[in-house]
Amino acid sequence: MEKIKSNLIEAIKGTYPDAREQDHEGNRLDFYVKKQCVPSILNYIKGEGYIHLSHIAFVDWIEEGEFELIYIVWSPKDKIKIFIRARVDRENPLMPNIESIWRQANTYQREAREMYGIQFEGFEAPNEFVLEDWNEIPPMRRDFDTQAYAEETFFHRPGREDAMDVREAIIERSREEIPDFAKKYSR
Amino acid sequence: MINDKNSQKIVDILQNWARKHSLFVLAYGTGCGAIEIPPTMTSRYDAERFGIRGAATPRQADVLLITGYLTTKTLKRVIRVYEQMQDPKYVIGFGSCTINGGMYYDSYNTIKVLDKYLPVDVYINGCMPRPESVISGIVKLQSLIAEGKANGAAKYKENLDWYRANQKKIIPNWVMPEYNW
Ligand code: SF4
Repeated sequence: MEKIKSNLIEAIKGTYPDAREQDHEGNRLDFYVKKQCVPSILNYIKGEGYIHLSHIAFVDWIEEGEFELIYIVWSPKDKIKIFIRARVDRENPLMPNIESIWRQANTYQREAREMYGIQFEGFEAPNEFVLEDWNEIPPMRRDFDTQAYAEETFFHRPGREDAMDVREAIIERSREEIPDFAKKYSR
Repeated sequence: MINDKNSQKIVDILQNWARKHSLFVLAYGTGCGAIEIPPTMTSRYDAERFGIRGAATPRQADVLLITGYLTTKTLKRVIRVYEQMQDPKYVIGFGSCTINGGMYYDSYNTIKVLDKYLPVDVYINGCMPRPESVISGIVKLQSLIAEGKANGAAKYKENLDWYRANQKKIIPNWVMPEYNW
């Protein structure tokens, strides 16, 4: 497996010198690439036997003003997962369209468009995907305040204000630390 | 004769007794709770011994089970389904999500209090309720029917404007037929 991985790294870095790789233990290999290289890299590795697009994941790096798209590709022959990671500007999120490489990308791209507002070049698909009559900013963006929206849109039944944060008890029992970013969400 | 008050009472009692023993539950699942319906209906718990059966279409069903969270998108379909059902009809809210939002209390896309949108006759709490509690909820509904207290459908007709206003608040693009009974 190490041999296959190093061959792949060599081949991809040969063609795209500014791609950066990150080798993980086991059967995973990450590449950080420029967004315009994404279609050609995907095309290349598809030819190498990475024929299965498992998923496209999206991350909102609001602090850095960027979205990250992670294309997860699997080879049934090599049994290796490749993660192709590309970043796009949050203000004007326009990504290359990879529908011609994998038809199933259509679904993920529609999801990205609806949930994050990421646009794809020349992408044609019905506008609504899961949501219906949605007029706010895309709901999975981190600057969308879900709770405030829910409170103002829906009825609430009183009685859960005194619900306790069970994490305190769990931490005491297991002597774990809450990471700082999670404390923000404590009630 | 039938207009006579006492005989009407006897007819009602007979009618309720008959209704209570033949409840057809619409096979329509909205949230995770729907997964508890197959074991409830089949050999392990066998709800049929209480006279509860599944029905395939709304027009042939008496009971609408809302099995968990309702997204605003599903709510639209559920309202249509409910309005298509014929009298007598009953609604059971199933799981914490229908009562106060459950673990989706802060979700942008699910309603939290079902009885503001549809008249609920019985709530079953739990996340998710096991078949035993489903059966006990339905038995509760049967006793309400026998006492003539399960009158959610009448409440809905009387307060249709109030329900409609609540429904339209979260379904701005209303493209459904306006029934008036
Ligand atoms: S009450 Fe629990 S099991 Fe039922 S729909 Fe809500 S989250 Fe799912």
